[in-house]
Amino acid sequence: MKLEVLQFELNARKVSVRVKPDATLLDVLREDLDLTGAKRGCGEGECGACTVLIDGMPVDSCIYPALKAAGKNIETIEGLGTEDNLHPVQKAFLDEGAVQCGFCTPGMILTTTALLAKNQSPSEEEVKVALSGNLCRCTGYTKIINAVKVAARNINKL
Amino acid sequence: MKKRGCGIGSMWYGIGNTGLPNPSGAFVQVLDDCTVIIHTGCADIGQGSTTVLAQIAAEELGVNFNDISVICADTGVTPDAGKTSASRQTYISGNAVRKAAQSAKETIFKKGAELLQVPEEELILKNYQLNSLKNYNIQISLKEIMAKCREDGTLVIGHGWFNPQTKGLDKRGQGIPYATYAFATQWVEVEVDTETGEIDILNVVAAHDVGKAVNPMAVEGQIEGGSVMGAGYALMEEIILDDGKIINSSFSNYLIPTIKDVPCVNSIIVEEEEVTGPFGAKGVGEPALIPTATAIANAISNALGIRFYELPITPEKILNSLKTANNTNKNQRDF
Repeated sequence: MKLEVLQFELNARKVSVRVKPDATLLDVLREDLDLTGAKRGCGEGECGACTVLIDGMPVDSCIYPALKAAGKNIETIEGLGTEDNLHPVQKAFLDEGAVQCGFCTPGMILTTTALLAKNQSPSEEEVKVALSGNLCRCTGYTKIINAVKVAARNINKL
Repeated sequence: MKKRGCGIGSMWYGIGNTGLPNPSGAFVQVLDDCTVIIHTGCADIGQGSTTVLAQIAAEELGVNFNDISVICADTGVTPDAGKTSASRQTYISGNAVRKAAQSAKETIFKKGAELLQVPEEELILKNYQLNSLKNYNIQISLKEIMAKCREDGTLVIGHGWFNPQTKGLDKRGQGIPYATYAFATQWVEVEVDTETGEIDILNVVAAHDVGKAVNPMAVEGQIEGGSVMGAGYALMEEIILDDGKIINSSFSNYLIPTIKDVPCVNSIIVEEEEVTGPFGAKGVGEPALIPTATAIANAISNALGIRFYELPITPEKILNSLKTANNTNKNQRDF
Protein backbone atom coordinates (compact mmCIF):
# COMPACT_ATOMS: atom_id res chain seq x y z
CA MET A 1 0.00 0.00 0.00
CA LYS A 2 1.30 3.46 -0.91
CA LEU A 3 2.18 5.51 2.13
CA GLU A 4 0.94 9.06 2.53
CA VAL A 5 2.73 11.88 4.30
CA LEU A 6 0.85 13.17 7.32
CA GLN A 7 1.82 16.38 9.07
CA PHE A 8 0.27 17.70 12.22
CA GLU A 9 1.11 19.30 15.52
CA LEU A 10 1.65 16.76 18.29
CA ASN A 11 2.08 17.90 21.89
CA ALA A 12 3.23 21.35 20.71
CA ARG A 13 5.75 19.97 18.19
CA LYS A 14 5.39 19.66 14.45
CA VAL A 15 5.60 16.07 13.26
CA SER A 16 5.70 14.51 9.83
CA VAL A 17 5.12 10.80 9.41
CA ARG A 18 4.44 8.42 6.53
CA VAL A 19 1.26 6.47 7.16
CA LYS A 20 -0.95 3.90 5.49
CA PRO A 21 -4.00 5.66 4.07
CA ASP A 22 -6.35 3.47 6.13
CA ALA A 23 -4.43 3.86 9.41
CA THR A 24 -6.28 5.22 12.41
CA LEU A 25 -4.83 8.02 14.47
CA LEU A 26 -4.33 5.53 17.32
CA ASP A 27 -2.28 3.23 15.00
CA VAL A 28 -0.02 6.13 14.08
CA LEU A 29 0.42 7.33 17.66
CA ARG A 30 1.13 3.89 19.11
CA GLU A 31 2.92 2.10 16.27
CA ASP A 32 4.73 4.85 14.36
CA LEU A 33 5.33 7.48 17.03
CA ASP A 34 5.74 5.14 20.04
CA LEU A 35 3.26 7.08 22.14
CA THR A 36 1.53 4.25 24.00
CA GLY A 37 -0.33 6.40 26.54
CA ALA A 38 -3.52 6.21 24.48
CA LYS A 39 -4.80 2.65 24.89
CA ARG A 40 -6.50 0.33 22.44
CA GLY A 41 -9.51 -0.88 24.43
CA CYS A 42 -12.51 -1.90 22.34
CA GLY A 43 -11.24 -0.57 19.01
CA GLU A 44 -14.74 0.58 18.09
CA GLY A 45 -15.16 3.94 19.80
CA GLU A 46 -17.11 2.69 22.82
CA CYS A 47 -14.73 2.70 25.79
CA GLY A 48 -12.75 5.94 25.48
CA ALA A 49 -9.39 4.42 26.48
CA CYS A 50 -7.90 5.78 23.23
CA THR A 51 -9.04 9.37 23.87
CA VAL A 52 -6.77 12.15 22.60
CA LEU A 53 -7.49 15.84 22.19
CA ILE A 54 -7.87 17.12 18.63
CA ASP A 55 -7.92 20.92 18.61
CA GLY A 56 -8.92 20.68 22.28
CA MET A 57 -11.81 18.24 21.76
CA PRO A 58 -11.71 14.71 23.20
CA VAL A 59 -11.87 12.19 20.35
CA ASP A 60 -11.73 8.38 20.17
CA SER A 61 -8.50 8.00 18.20
CA CYS A 62 -9.19 4.30 17.45
CA ILE A 63 -11.89 5.23 14.91
CA TYR A 64 -10.38 8.51 13.71
CA PRO A 65 -8.71 8.23 10.30
CA ALA A 66 -5.11 9.38 10.71
CA LEU A 67 -5.10 11.42 7.52
CA LYS A 68 -7.99 13.48 8.84
CA ALA A 69 -5.59 14.79 11.49
CA ALA A 70 -3.54 16.66 8.86
CA GLY A 71 -2.78 20.18 10.01
CA LYS A 72 -4.58 19.67 13.31
CA ASN A 73 -3.33 20.06 16.85
CA ILE A 74 -3.17 16.71 18.68
CA GLU A 75 -2.56 16.37 22.39
CA THR A 76 -1.87 13.04 24.08
CA ILE A 77 -1.28 12.17 27.73
CA GLU A 78 2.48 12.30 27.06
CA GLY A 79 2.21 16.03 26.33
CA LEU A 80 0.26 16.93 29.42
CA GLY A 81 2.81 16.89 32.22
CA THR A 82 6.07 15.29 33.24
CA GLU A 83 6.79 13.01 36.18
CA ASP A 84 8.43 15.93 38.02
CA ASN A 85 5.86 18.47 36.96
CA LEU A 86 2.43 16.87 36.80
CA HIS A 87 -0.54 18.61 35.23
CA PRO A 88 -3.07 19.57 37.97
CA VAL A 89 -5.54 16.99 36.61
CA GLN A 90 -2.90 14.24 36.78
CA LYS A 91 -1.97 15.29 40.31
CA ALA A 92 -5.61 15.30 41.42
CA PHE A 93 -6.17 11.78 40.00
CA LEU A 94 -3.16 10.51 41.97
CA ASP A 95 -3.99 12.37 45.17
CA GLU A 96 -7.61 11.20 45.17
CA GLY A 97 -6.77 7.58 44.33
CA ALA A 98 -8.74 7.76 41.08
CA VAL A 99 -6.38 5.30 39.38
CA GLN A 100 -6.51 1.54 39.80
CA CYS A 101 -5.40 -0.58 36.82
CA GLY A 102 -4.74 2.65 34.92
CA PHE A 103 -6.05 1.54 31.52
CA CYS A 104 -8.80 4.17 31.34
CA THR A 105 -6.73 6.85 33.09
CA PRO A 106 -5.10 8.66 30.12
CA GLY A 107 -8.51 9.01 28.46
CA MET A 108 -10.19 10.08 31.69
CA ILE A 109 -7.53 12.72 32.32
CA LEU A 110 -7.60 14.14 28.78
CA THR A 111 -11.41 14.31 28.74
CA THR A 112 -11.29 16.05 32.13
CA THR A 113 -8.70 18.52 30.82
CA ALA A 114 -10.96 19.38 27.89
CA LEU A 115 -13.96 19.78 30.21
CA LEU A 116 -12.11 22.08 32.61
CA ALA A 117 -10.79 24.21 29.73
CA LYS A 118 -14.40 24.98 28.82
CA ASN A 119 -16.02 24.91 32.23
CA GLN A 120 -13.90 25.84 35.23
CA SER A 121 -16.32 24.72 37.92
CA PRO A 122 -18.52 21.95 36.53
CA SER A 123 -21.38 20.51 38.55
CA GLU A 124 -21.34 16.78 39.36
CA GLU A 125 -23.89 16.23 36.57
CA GLU A 126 -21.71 18.12 34.09
CA VAL A 127 -18.71 15.99 35.09
CA LYS A 128 -20.76 12.86 34.52
CA VAL A 129 -22.00 13.98 31.12
CA ALA A 130 -18.46 14.88 30.03
CA LEU A 131 -16.97 11.56 31.18
CA SER A 132 -19.83 9.30 30.10
CA GLY A 133 -17.85 8.17 27.05
CA ASN A 134 -14.95 6.93 29.16
CA LEU A 135 -15.59 3.51 30.70
CA CYS A 136 -13.86 2.36 33.88
CA ARG A 137 -14.26 -1.14 35.31
CA CYS A 138 -12.15 -0.79 38.48
CA THR A 139 -12.83 2.42 40.33
CA GLY A 140 -16.63 2.66 40.36
CA TYR A 141 -16.08 6.31 39.27
CA THR A 142 -16.53 7.75 42.80
CA LYS A 143 -12.89 8.77 43.17
CA ILE A 144 -12.74 9.95 39.55
CA ILE A 145 -15.58 12.41 40.21
CA ASN A 146 -13.78 13.58 43.36
CA ALA A 147 -10.54 14.01 41.41
CA VAL A 148 -12.23 16.16 38.75
CA LYS A 149 -13.69 18.39 41.48
CA VAL A 150 -10.29 18.70 43.19
CA ALA A 151 -8.57 19.41 39.86
CA ALA A 152 -11.11 22.17 39.10
CA ARG A 153 -10.47 23.76 42.50
CA ASN A 154 -6.69 23.56 42.07
CA ILE A 155 -6.73 24.99 38.53
CA ASN A 156 -8.88 27.90 39.71
CA LYS A 157 -6.33 28.62 42.44
CA LEU A 158 -3.45 28.89 39.94
CA MET B 1 -45.00 7.05 38.20
CA LYS B 2 -41.69 6.90 40.00
CA LYS B 3 -41.48 4.60 42.98
CA ARG B 4 -38.67 4.44 45.49
CA GLY B 5 -37.49 1.52 47.57
CA CYS B 6 -34.59 0.42 49.78
CA GLY B 7 -32.90 -2.94 50.06
CA ILE B 8 -30.12 -4.65 51.95
CA GLY B 9 -27.73 -7.39 50.92
CA SER B 10 -25.29 -9.17 53.22
CA MET B 11 -22.56 -11.69 52.57
CA TRP B 12 -19.66 -13.65 53.91
CA TYR B 13 -16.86 -14.80 51.69
CA GLY B 14 -13.98 -17.17 52.28
CA ILE B 15 -10.53 -15.75 51.50
CA GLY B 16 -8.34 -18.04 49.37
CA ASN B 17 -8.95 -21.25 47.47
CA THR B 18 -11.66 -23.55 48.82
CA GLY B 19 -10.24 -26.35 50.95
CA LEU B 20 -7.03 -26.44 48.96
CA PRO B 21 -3.43 -25.56 49.71
CA ASN B 22 -2.69 -22.17 48.08
CA PRO B 23 0.65 -20.96 49.36
CA SER B 24 2.52 -17.79 48.51
CA GLY B 25 6.23 -17.04 48.87
CA ALA B 26 8.43 -13.95 48.99
CA PHE B 27 12.08 -12.88 49.24
CA VAL B 28 13.19 -9.73 51.04
CA GLN B 29 16.66 -8.20 50.99
CA VAL B 30 17.79 -5.17 52.99
CA LEU B 31 20.64 -3.36 51.21
CA ASP B 32 23.55 -1.34 52.61
CA ASP B 33 21.73 1.97 52.11
CA CYS B 34 18.74 0.59 54.08
CA THR B 35 16.57 0.27 50.99
CA VAL B 36 14.67 -2.96 50.57
CA ILE B 37 13.93 -5.20 47.60
CA ILE B 38 10.95 -7.55 47.67
CA HIS B 39 10.53 -10.39 45.20
CA THR B 40 7.03 -11.81 45.02
CA GLY B 41 5.02 -13.62 42.37
CA CYS B 42 1.96 -11.58 43.33
CA ALA B 43 0.40 -9.99 40.23
CA ASP B 44 -0.98 -6.49 40.77
CA ILE B 45 -3.82 -6.10 38.29
CA GLY B 46 -4.74 -2.66 39.59
CA GLN B 47 -6.06 -3.62 42.99
CA GLY B 48 -2.94 -2.25 44.66
CA SER B 49 -1.24 -5.38 46.00
CA THR B 50 2.23 -4.08 45.16
CA THR B 51 1.59 -0.99 47.29
CA VAL B 52 0.10 -3.03 50.12
CA LEU B 53 3.00 -5.54 50.15
CA ALA B 54 5.53 -2.68 50.25
CA GLN B 55 3.60 -1.11 53.15
CA ILE B 56 3.65 -4.41 55.06
CA ALA B 57 7.43 -4.80 54.58
CA ALA B 58 8.02 -1.14 55.52
CA GLU B 59 6.02 -1.58 58.73
CA GLU B 60 7.83 -4.79 59.66
CA LEU B 61 11.32 -3.38 58.95
CA GLY B 62 10.78 0.11 60.37
CA VAL B 63 11.73 1.86 57.12
CA ASN B 64 9.90 4.29 54.81
CA PHE B 65 7.54 3.04 52.13
CA ASN B 66 9.57 4.97 49.52
CA ASP B 67 12.65 2.89 50.32
CA ILE B 68 10.98 -0.34 49.21
CA SER B 69 11.05 -1.64 45.66
CA VAL B 70 8.82 -4.52 44.69
CA ILE B 71 9.70 -6.85 41.85
CA CYS B 72 6.58 -8.82 41.17
CA ALA B 73 4.82 -11.33 38.95
CA ASP B 74 7.83 -12.35 36.88
CA THR B 75 7.99 -16.14 36.70
CA GLY B 76 11.65 -15.82 35.69
CA VAL B 77 12.75 -14.29 38.97
CA THR B 78 9.97 -14.20 41.56
CA PRO B 79 8.81 -16.99 43.88
CA ASP B 80 5.36 -18.49 43.38
CA ALA B 81 2.62 -16.43 45.03
CA GLY B 82 -0.32 -18.22 43.49
CA LYS B 83 -3.05 -16.50 41.57
CA THR B 84 -4.46 -13.02 42.01
CA SER B 85 -7.90 -14.47 42.65
CA ALA B 86 -10.12 -15.50 45.54
CA SER B 87 -9.45 -12.11 47.18
CA ARG B 88 -6.32 -13.74 48.59
CA GLN B 89 -3.23 -11.64 47.88
CA THR B 90 -3.30 -9.16 50.78
CA TYR B 91 -3.97 -11.99 53.23
CA ILE B 92 -1.71 -14.72 51.82
CA SER B 93 1.08 -12.86 50.00
CA GLY B 94 0.89 -10.18 52.69
CA ASN B 95 1.75 -12.86 55.23
CA ALA B 96 4.51 -14.26 52.99
CA VAL B 97 6.13 -10.82 52.62
CA ARG B 98 5.80 -10.14 56.33
CA LYS B 99 7.45 -13.47 57.16
CA ALA B 100 10.24 -12.82 54.65
CA ALA B 101 10.79 -9.38 56.23
CA GLN B 102 10.80 -10.97 59.68
CA SER B 103 13.42 -13.48 58.61
CA ALA B 104 15.63 -10.68 57.22
CA LYS B 105 15.05 -8.81 60.45
CA GLU B 106 16.44 -11.75 62.44
CA THR B 107 19.88 -11.10 60.92
CA ILE B 108 19.60 -7.39 61.79
CA PHE B 109 18.61 -8.21 65.38
CA LYS B 110 21.39 -10.75 65.76
CA LYS B 111 23.99 -8.26 64.58
CA GLY B 112 22.41 -5.46 66.66
CA ALA B 113 22.35 -7.58 69.81
CA GLU B 114 26.01 -8.41 69.30
CA LEU B 115 26.99 -4.77 68.81
CA LEU B 116 24.84 -3.40 71.65
CA GLN B 117 25.57 -6.27 74.02
CA VAL B 118 21.91 -6.83 74.88
CA PRO B 119 19.63 -9.83 74.27
CA GLU B 120 17.78 -9.84 70.92
CA GLU B 121 14.40 -10.16 72.68
CA GLU B 122 14.57 -6.65 74.08
CA LEU B 123 15.27 -4.96 70.73
CA ILE B 124 12.85 -2.99 68.60
CA LEU B 125 13.42 -1.76 65.02
CA LYS B 126 11.70 1.49 64.08
CA ASN B 127 12.54 4.58 62.00
CA TYR B 128 15.86 3.09 60.82
CA GLN B 129 16.91 2.65 64.42
CA LEU B 130 17.41 -0.36 66.65
CA ASN B 131 16.60 0.39 70.29
CA SER B 132 16.55 -1.53 73.53
CA LEU B 133 13.03 -1.58 74.92
CA LYS B 134 14.50 -1.53 78.42
CA ASN B 135 16.79 1.43 77.91
CA TYR B 136 16.08 3.73 75.00
CA ASN B 137 19.57 5.22 75.22
CA ILE B 138 20.95 1.91 74.02
CA GLN B 139 20.59 2.32 70.29
CA ILE B 140 22.22 1.85 66.94
CA SER B 141 21.17 3.00 63.50
CA LEU B 142 20.13 0.50 60.84
CA LYS B 143 22.75 2.05 58.57
CA GLU B 144 25.52 1.22 61.06
CA ILE B 145 24.27 -2.34 61.37
CA MET B 146 24.18 -2.71 57.60
CA ALA B 147 27.75 -1.35 57.42
CA LYS B 148 28.91 -3.88 60.02
CA CYS B 149 27.15 -6.65 58.10
CA ARG B 150 28.94 -5.57 54.92
CA GLU B 151 32.27 -5.56 56.81
CA ASP B 152 31.99 -9.14 57.92
CA GLY B 153 30.28 -10.36 54.76
CA THR B 154 26.78 -10.95 56.10
CA LEU B 155 23.88 -10.45 53.70
CA VAL B 156 20.52 -9.44 55.15
CA ILE B 157 18.19 -11.66 53.19
CA GLY B 158 14.97 -13.33 54.25
CA HIS B 159 12.45 -15.60 52.68
CA GLY B 160 8.99 -16.49 53.83
CA TRP B 161 5.90 -18.32 52.71
CA PHE B 162 2.39 -18.75 53.97
CA ASN B 163 -0.28 -21.32 53.31
CA PRO B 164 -3.68 -20.73 54.91
CA GLN B 165 -4.75 -23.54 57.22
CA THR B 166 -7.56 -25.34 55.45
CA LYS B 167 -8.94 -28.87 55.40
CA GLY B 168 -10.45 -30.39 52.25
CA LEU B 169 -14.18 -31.00 52.25
CA ASP B 170 -15.46 -34.54 52.83
CA LYS B 171 -18.36 -36.28 51.09
CA ARG B 172 -20.81 -34.32 53.21
CA GLY B 173 -19.14 -31.02 52.38
CA GLN B 174 -17.67 -30.78 55.86
CA GLY B 175 -14.16 -29.45 56.50
CA ILE B 176 -12.33 -26.16 56.89
CA PRO B 177 -12.61 -24.57 53.46
CA TYR B 178 -11.08 -21.22 54.38
CA ALA B 179 -8.73 -19.88 57.03
CA THR B 180 -10.62 -16.60 57.31
CA TYR B 181 -13.73 -14.85 56.00
CA ALA B 182 -14.71 -11.35 54.93
CA PHE B 183 -18.12 -9.96 55.87
CA ALA B 184 -20.15 -7.16 54.31
CA THR B 185 -23.54 -5.48 54.21
CA GLN B 186 -24.66 -3.08 51.53
CA TRP B 187 -27.71 -0.82 51.48
CA VAL B 188 -29.15 0.53 48.25
CA GLU B 189 -31.92 3.00 47.44
CA VAL B 190 -33.50 2.86 43.97
CA GLU B 191 -36.13 4.75 42.02
CA VAL B 192 -38.15 2.75 39.47
CA ASP B 193 -40.01 4.47 36.65
CA THR B 194 -43.19 2.42 36.18
CA GLU B 195 -43.79 3.95 32.73
CA THR B 196 -40.40 3.05 31.23
CA GLY B 197 -39.14 0.34 33.58
CA GLU B 198 -35.95 2.31 34.09
CA ILE B 199 -34.14 1.88 37.40
CA ASP B 200 -32.09 4.66 38.92
CA ILE B 201 -29.72 3.80 41.75
CA LEU B 202 -29.87 6.79 44.09
CA ASN B 203 -27.65 5.70 46.95
CA VAL B 204 -25.24 2.93 47.82
CA VAL B 205 -23.77 2.43 51.27
CA ALA B 206 -21.28 -0.44 51.47
CA ALA B 207 -19.89 -1.61 54.81
CA HIS B 208 -17.03 -4.12 54.62
CA ASP B 209 -15.10 -5.95 57.30
CA VAL B 210 -11.57 -6.16 55.86
CA GLY B 211 -9.69 -7.11 59.03
CA LYS B 212 -7.20 -4.25 58.95
CA ALA B 213 -7.27 -1.78 56.06
CA VAL B 214 -3.56 -1.67 55.19
CA ASN B 215 -4.30 1.05 52.63
CA PRO B 216 -7.71 2.59 53.32
CA MET B 217 -7.82 4.55 50.06
CA ALA B 218 -7.19 1.38 48.03
CA VAL B 219 -9.80 -0.50 50.09
CA GLU B 220 -12.35 2.23 49.32
CA GLY B 221 -11.42 1.97 45.65
CA GLN B 222 -12.06 -1.77 45.74
CA ILE B 223 -15.40 -1.30 47.50
CA GLU B 224 -16.54 1.45 45.10
CA GLY B 225 -15.45 -0.45 42.01
CA GLY B 226 -16.93 -3.74 43.21
CA SER B 227 -20.28 -2.15 44.06
CA VAL B 228 -20.53 -0.62 40.61
CA MET B 229 -19.64 -3.91 38.95
CA GLY B 230 -22.34 -5.48 41.15
CA ALA B 231 -24.80 -2.85 39.93
CA GLY B 232 -24.00 -3.81 36.35
CA TYR B 233 -24.57 -7.47 37.25
CA ALA B 234 -27.94 -6.55 38.78
CA LEU B 235 -29.28 -4.29 36.05
CA MET B 236 -27.58 -4.67 32.69
CA GLU B 237 -24.88 -7.28 32.20
CA GLU B 238 -25.85 -10.48 30.45
CA ILE B 239 -23.87 -12.69 28.10
CA ILE B 240 -26.14 -13.93 25.33
CA LEU B 241 -25.21 -17.22 23.69
CA ASP B 242 -26.33 -18.47 20.31
CA ASP B 243 -25.33 -22.04 19.60
CA GLY B 244 -22.46 -21.76 22.07
CA LYS B 245 -21.20 -18.49 20.65
CA ILE B 246 -21.29 -15.18 22.51
CA ILE B 247 -23.24 -12.77 20.32
CA ASN B 248 -22.86 -9.64 22.44
CA SER B 249 -19.11 -9.44 22.97
CA SER B 250 -18.67 -5.72 22.43
CA PHE B 251 -19.28 -2.67 24.59
CA SER B 252 -22.08 -1.57 22.26
CA ASN B 253 -24.22 -4.63 23.04
CA TYR B 254 -22.81 -5.83 26.38
CA LEU B 255 -23.39 -2.81 28.53
CA ILE B 256 -21.41 -2.06 31.67
CA PRO B 257 -22.13 0.89 33.97
CA THR B 258 -20.90 4.26 32.78
CA ILE B 259 -20.24 7.18 35.11
CA LYS B 260 -23.83 8.31 34.45
CA ASP B 261 -25.42 5.04 35.55
CA VAL B 262 -24.27 5.02 39.15
CA PRO B 263 -24.18 7.29 42.17
CA CYS B 264 -21.10 7.88 44.30
CA VAL B 265 -20.65 4.90 46.61
CA ASN B 266 -20.40 5.58 50.33
CA SER B 267 -18.01 3.01 51.72
CA ILE B 268 -17.64 2.14 55.37
CA ILE B 269 -14.52 0.25 56.35
CA VAL B 270 -15.02 -2.07 59.32
CA GLU B 271 -11.78 -3.18 60.96
CA GLU B 272 -12.11 -6.37 62.96
CA GLU B 273 -8.52 -7.53 62.99
CA GLU B 274 -7.87 -11.09 61.84
CA VAL B 275 -5.29 -12.80 64.08
CA THR B 276 -3.81 -14.86 61.23
CA GLY B 277 -3.63 -11.90 58.81
CA PRO B 278 -0.64 -9.63 58.19
CA PHE B 279 -1.16 -6.85 60.76
CA GLY B 280 -4.75 -8.12 60.95
CA ALA B 281 -5.62 -7.79 57.24
CA LYS B 282 -7.96 -10.03 55.23
CA GLY B 283 -9.24 -9.38 51.68
CA VAL B 284 -11.81 -7.18 49.96
CA GLY B 285 -11.63 -7.76 46.19
CA GLU B 286 -14.63 -9.94 45.40
CA PRO B 287 -16.69 -9.28 48.55
CA ALA B 288 -17.29 -5.75 47.25
CA LEU B 289 -19.54 -6.92 44.43
CA ILE B 290 -21.22 -9.91 46.06
CA PRO B 291 -24.05 -8.25 48.06
CA THR B 292 -24.83 -5.44 45.57
CA ALA B 293 -27.20 -7.28 43.23
CA THR B 294 -29.08 -8.71 46.22
CA ALA B 295 -29.47 -5.27 47.75
CA ILE B 296 -30.67 -3.81 44.43
CA ALA B 297 -33.15 -6.66 43.82
CA ASN B 298 -34.49 -6.19 47.35
CA ALA B 299 -34.79 -2.43 46.81
CA ILE B 300 -36.73 -2.95 43.57
CA SER B 301 -39.01 -5.42 45.33
CA ASN B 302 -39.49 -2.89 48.10
CA ALA B 303 -40.44 -0.22 45.55
CA LEU B 304 -42.81 -2.32 43.43
CA GLY B 305 -43.96 -5.16 45.66
CA ILE B 306 -42.77 -7.61 43.01
CA ARG B 307 -39.92 -10.11 43.45
CA PHE B 308 -37.42 -10.75 40.70
CA TYR B 309 -35.57 -14.06 40.59
CA GLU B 310 -33.46 -13.53 37.49
CA LEU B 311 -30.64 -11.10 36.72
CA PRO B 312 -30.20 -8.69 35.10
CA ILE B 313 -33.40 -6.87 36.07
CA THR B 314 -33.86 -4.97 32.82
CA PRO B 315 -36.54 -2.34 32.06
CA GLU B 316 -38.27 -4.98 29.86
CA LYS B 317 -38.53 -7.38 32.80
CA ILE B 318 -39.84 -4.61 35.05
CA LEU B 319 -42.55 -3.63 32.55
CA ASN B 320 -43.57 -7.25 31.88
CA SER B 321 -43.86 -7.96 35.60
CA LEU B 322 -45.85 -4.78 36.20
CA LYS B 323 -48.20 -5.78 33.37
CA THR B 324 -48.66 -9.30 34.78
CA ALA B 325 -49.24 -7.90 38.27
CA ASN B 326 -51.81 -5.41 36.91
CA ASN B 327 -53.66 -8.13 35.00
CA THR B 328 -53.73 -10.39 38.05
CA ASN B 329 -55.10 -7.53 40.15
CA LYS B 330 -57.67 -6.74 37.47
CA ASN B 331 -58.76 -10.38 37.20
CA GLN B 332 -59.08 -10.56 40.95
CA ARG B 333 -61.20 -7.42 40.92
CA ASP B 334 -63.37 -8.71 38.05
CA PHE B 335 -63.85 -12.00 39.88
